[in-house]
Amino acid sequence: MTASVSTELALLVDVGSAWAKAGVVGRARGRWRIVAHASQPTSWGATELRRQLVEQLEASGDPRLAGRYEGLLSTANRIECHTARQVGRLAVIAVSRELSGGAARRAAEAAGWEVADVVTLDDGRSLAERLALLQSIEVDAWLLAGSFDDASSPRALEAAGLVAAARPVDGGAVVWAGSARLADQVAALFEPGAVAAVGNARPTPHREEGGELREHLQGLLRDTVAQEDQAHLSAATLPRAVSAIAAAGTLRVLAVDLGARGAIRALAEPDGTVASRLHSSGGLAGIARVAGAAGRVARQAPDAGDEAAVADLMQTIRARPETLPQTVEDVAGLQAAARILLAAMFDDDPVGPVDLLIGAGRSIAGAPKPAQAARMLLDGVRPIGVTQLAVDSASILGPLGSLPDGELTEGIELLGDDVLTALGTSVVTRGGSPGQLAMRVTVHRAGWPTPVPDDVRVGQVQVVPLARGQEAELVIELGPGVGLGASRRSPRITARAMGGSVGLILDARGAPIPLPRRADDRRVVLAGWRDAFEREGEAGR
Amino acid sequence: MSVIHRVRLPVGASTLVENGHRVEPAEVLATRRAVEGGVTVQVAARLRRGPAEAAGLLEARPGAFLAAGDRLAADGRGREVLAPMACVFLGYDADDGTALVAPLGGEQPILGHVRGEIESVTRDAIEIRVAGALVAGVGGSGNAVHGGLLMGVRDPAEELRAGAIDVGATGRIVVGGSRASAETLTRARAMGVAGIVLGGALEKELSDFQATQARRREMGGVAGDFAVVVVEGYGKVGMDAQLFEWFRAHAGHMASLFGDAARLYVYDADPPPARRVLPRPGNRVVAYRRPYAGVAGELQRVLDGPYATPGGVAARSGIVRFDDGRTAVVPLANLSALERRDA
Repeated sequence: MTASVSTELALLVDVGSAWAKAGVVGRARGRWRIVAHASQPTSWGATELRRQLVEQLEASGDPRLAGRYEGLLSTANRIECHTARQVGRLAVIAVSRELSGGAARRAAEAAGWEVADVVTLDDGRSLAERLALLQSIEVDAWLLAGSFDDASSPRALEAAGLVAAARPVDGGAVVWAGSARLADQVAALFEPGAVAAVGNARPTPHREEGGELREHLQGLLRDTVAQEDQAHLSAATLPRAVSAIAAAGTLRVLAVDLGARGAIRALAEPDGTVASRLHSSGGLAGIARVAGAAGRVARQAPDAGDEAAVADLMQTIRARPETLPQTVEDVAGLQAAARILLAAMFDDDPVGPVDLLIGAGRSIAGAPKPAQAARMLLDGVRPIGVTQLAVDSASILGPLGSLPDGELTEGIELLGDDVLTALGTSVVTRGGSPGQLAMRVTVHRAGWPTPVPDDVRVGQVQVVPLARGQEAELVIELGPGVGLGASRRSPRITARAMGGSVGLILDARGAPIPLPRRADDRRVVLAGWRDAFEREGEAGR
Repeated sequence: MSVIHRVRLPVGASTLVENGHRVEPAEVLATRRAVEGGVTVQVAARLRRGPAEAAGLLEARPGAFLAAGDRLAADGRGREVLAPMACVFLGYDADDGTALVAPLGGEQPILGHVRGEIESVTRDAIEIRVAGALVAGVGGSGNAVHGGLLMGVRDPAEELRAGAIDVGATGRIVVGGSRASAETLTRARAMGVAGIVLGGALEKELSDFQATQARRREMGGVAGDFAVVVVEGYGKVGMDAQLFEWFRAHAGHMASLFGDAARLYVYDADPPPARRVLPRPGNRVVAYRRPYAGVAGELQRVLDGPYATPGGVAARSGIVRFDDGRTAVVPLANLSALERRDA
């Protein structure tokens, strides 16, 4: 007689705007592990996704359960998150393009809104053109700004009047981010409850204070795009999972999720508090809308082809986000685009040193080589200091974040190392003179002979093998004028480094990374960096 | 076959049609009165009050549409300020006691640009049922245009050349193949071609053309509408042969092309060849990414397990024998099955 064997499985699903990812968690050798993982275009549907998972489980799961996986998966606990189906679009109407309009636009973009248009009273359009434009755009919200704090400019009220004339009743939220003196008058132009007044984004001609506006707009965006189920929305679940990781390890953790349509950044403090930002159109498809993107990608990735070829690639990524880059050129172009989009997420609001940087989304976490993922994270985010790097390769952070608090913490504990794939540790410096010593790093590994220090010059990047599971103590001596992002009292800094599939990355390219002006020089420098990452990264695997 | 086309209405638009009306592309569905410049109206002085005090006597709210003679402000003792003409009241200046109003100009038409039957009329939009087929593109540019379909090339992989545009193409929507240069587009526009449908286009050539047109428009040198729609992809991408044949079969049919929205309605047409994600072995397929973008073939076999592309991306893939003779392993995500018309 054969004993009946059973098991418990959980299905974690992340349904993105273009790709759906799923992982199966089950008990293997006495502990919970990710036992199967699959990803596919979202349009292929749930049945196909489950079929792929069943195929994997039949091939590599417990043979005693063969033939029963389909049934087990259909009854498995399903933990799911998904991308918001809607993009938040907003129109900015202000008095001055440079002052109130610029401040409002920056705050809106930083909050993750797609700015449909900016209309200002000095934009060179006629009154009729302004009104016609505002009447023709379809937006979820209207952002009004103008007049300094010590004034009550009638021009600001004129801008508000334009919106009142163009916006249908109940035609989206109106945010007033101008002089507080005018708030009541602006509110009176619209139906009750339509206008929210926040702090002036440009209170004086010489001061910009977009913080309060940005925060308000972030909340408004969440409300706008997440009228569905907040608890299962990636923009909410990913930050929750990051918060749990930060609290569990007492770490400062930054996660960036670059999707097909949108992008999310979540910064969690060691006490678990988390600040997140959704970039509605900050995903890869958005690269086609970034001014001069093709030229920038072509400059940063000579392997991607000339500017015309890159322009075609950008449009293809926009038009067919569910497709995959096949050629070496397309992969190079896509990854350069990812680096540009990541950098744009931190343009106005750098996060400072973090202990752990997590990359999520198919383009980063599913990069063909771990070294490519590490390079996208380092080039895009430029985490100054000593930082562990990891990717959410199984795409389970989002689904885990949809669990209730207790279960989330338990889930992260139970899965342990399976939650993230460690890439290694980076040491990123800034400052110093080109060609001069940036850092001398001695890597002490337990049981290894006394090491020879590695010298890294300003503008260089080196990768030192440090395998997954290995730890090392670093002694870092910085060159003149070189910093690690925090003030130092000693000429020697010690830090711990965790290994990973790439290793220890010593990156002295500065922040932002300067590139040679001459195309030939730039090509040589970029090829050198690429080779440093990929050659050494391969060796370290 | 029929499809729905939606026409958005701006605030203040007056609709002229009702459910069930049959409309033509050039028919006016609604009108709106656009504003013309700004006019200052004395308020405080006419009410014989100080500017700040007069602010409290306003009866219209900024943003309001006013008819000529509508009351803008009144002091309750017989003095009042009336709208001098039909206008939008935009704001009141409490420093000098004046109101800024934008006079409403003549009525401007809102066209549907399609032929069909009104399905619904709401405050925000008019929906029209179009008897015909919709071809959705991946990109495009330009306004709404309409005209008869005209084949501009003989082969779906052929480039639409400037020489193919002659006087016979005037007022037509020309169907090209793999691409068209900026020179061809410029000539087409100059010859009065209404629009162009392409399998593929080089993004740089399209944007160069758009930039040229924008400059000419600023100088007042461009008249008439012109639109381009791309149906397969960017780069030198040919049109799928089945879709090309479908266009050929409907040459001469009237069509409405919306460039910016990348939509083409072809009237009295059969459904265009359908596509399906997740192709199966034996399906005819078309590829979407370089180096096979736009090339059709047959999916011979789906490989067990993921397979890495030359770029290193591992994905479920299949072996495709392309019509041009090449055989390659292609990620299934980069393929669509071409449904047979008789299927």
